[in-house]
Amino acid sequence: MPTLTERFTKGGSPGVNVERYRTIRTVVLVAVTAVAVGGFLIEIPRIQILEHTARNLYFHVPMWFTLMAAVAVSAYHSLRFLQTGDLRRDVRAREAALVGVVFGILGLLTGMVWARFTWYQGTNIWWNFDPKQSMAAVQLLIYGAYLVLRTAFDEPQKRGRIAAVYNLFALVTVPFLLFILPRQAPSLHPGADGNPAFSDFTAPSMRWVLYPAFASFIGLFWVIYTQRVRAAFLKLRLHGDTD
Amino acid sequence: MLRWLHGAWAVFEKDIKLELRSRYAINTMLLFVLSALFLTAFAVGQETLTPRIESALLWIVIVFAAALGLGRSFVSEQERGTVLLLLLHTQGGMVYAGKLLFNFLFVLGLNLLAVGTFVLLLGVQVMAPGLLLTTLVLGALGLAGATTLLAAIIARTATRGPLLPVLVFPMLIPLLLAVVTATRHALPDGLGWAAVGNELLTLVGFAGVVISASIILFDYVWYD
Repeated sequence: MPTLTERFTKGGSPGVNVERYRTIRTVVLVAVTAVAVGGFLIEIPRIQILEHTARNLYFHVPMWFTLMAAVAVSAYHSLRFLQTGDLRRDVRAREAALVGVVFGILGLLTGMVWARFTWYQGTNIWWNFDPKQSMAAVQLLIYGAYLVLRTAFDEPQKRGRIAAVYNLFALVTVPFLLFILPRQAPSLHPGADGNPAFSDFTAPSMRWVLYPAFASFIGLFWVIYTQRVRAAFLKLRLHGDTD
Repeated sequence: MLRWLHGAWAVFEKDIKLELRSRYAINTMLLFVLSALFLTAFAVGQETLTPRIESALLWIVIVFAAALGLGRSFVSEQERGTVLLLLLHTQGGMVYAGKLLFNFLFVLGLNLLAVGTFVLLLGVQVMAPGLLLTTLVLGALGLAGATTLLAAIIARTATRGPLLPVLVFPMLIPLLLAVVTATRHALPDGLGWAAVGNELLTLVGFAGVVISASIILFDYVWYD
């Protein structure tokens, strides 16, 4: 039985190199700041309708990629939990879903604001049934249900198992949306329905900010996620419970 | 394999017998569908609806009725204390298959009843009855496939409360979009079979994927 001090000092997952972790965390935080500053200051080509809102590209698109990364991480750990029954896997699946939801909501909001003040300028339309928007909304609803389902159990093993089953089960229905949604409403996004492809209107200079933005927002997800996971591991060691 | 089919059939037969003895679920659903459709009809009034809105209303009622009715299929085992008997005498897969078959027939009956009432109440014309029937059967299969595993999940929660709609509705969005479009094309101004190949394919794929995933995942829910 480890003492309380040992529990706290060895709190993280085994084998974490704290020095390296802190270095990567610093790099990520500096990169996110640089992207935010560069995104607003670096000159961009002016395009009709879009004008300066094109800067939203640096924030909106990385949010969406981050949500996808979070979905993959959460599903992977749910699968591993079903295989191993290790509660730390369950903690990881939950935290990835939770942090993914935050990025997903931000991605939705940045997209809604963007469309409202460009193509829908002067109208009152906020929600336009764009296929990508609807898919993100469905995935967020699934994670909402996943997090609510977790609160309905008292016993950690049972909670983890059934939450993992729901996480995977709900996920298999999402790809059908790719097939069915574009037939319901046209898309505002590049490369769909005769819209210009992404590369046609993105000036090469914008990529100097956009590609680092992908890396740094996924990095930001990783920092928040690992911090929360480490805190949850401590709680798991102290109370033996995940939620 | 034969033993497996026999077990699944036994679970199905037991459910049918119990249901015919009390007729609780059947009567509840009958009245639920009737009153929900009457509510819809009264709320709409004498207004003429477009086929799109007609099929949307119809499927909203069906999805709600299915989410309410199927939620009981495993909770009732828990309440009667018969889970242990099932665990002793059958394997997880048999229980799932038996319950799935029962739920499928239940939802199919519900769909037919809802469509019949809907046609009577709102004076809807059906141009392509075969297409409508195919949509109802495939829709029932997808609904039952998605809901049966979740009903087993509900039975394991501490509260066994009204969680099922919350869990199942986000999953049903692809199914709902496909059945609404397919139903619309079976009504006046629709294009019939020619226009709904993708939708029917989606329904078949959806049912196949949710049932396969359920078969893989069911044991994790069923056994401790």
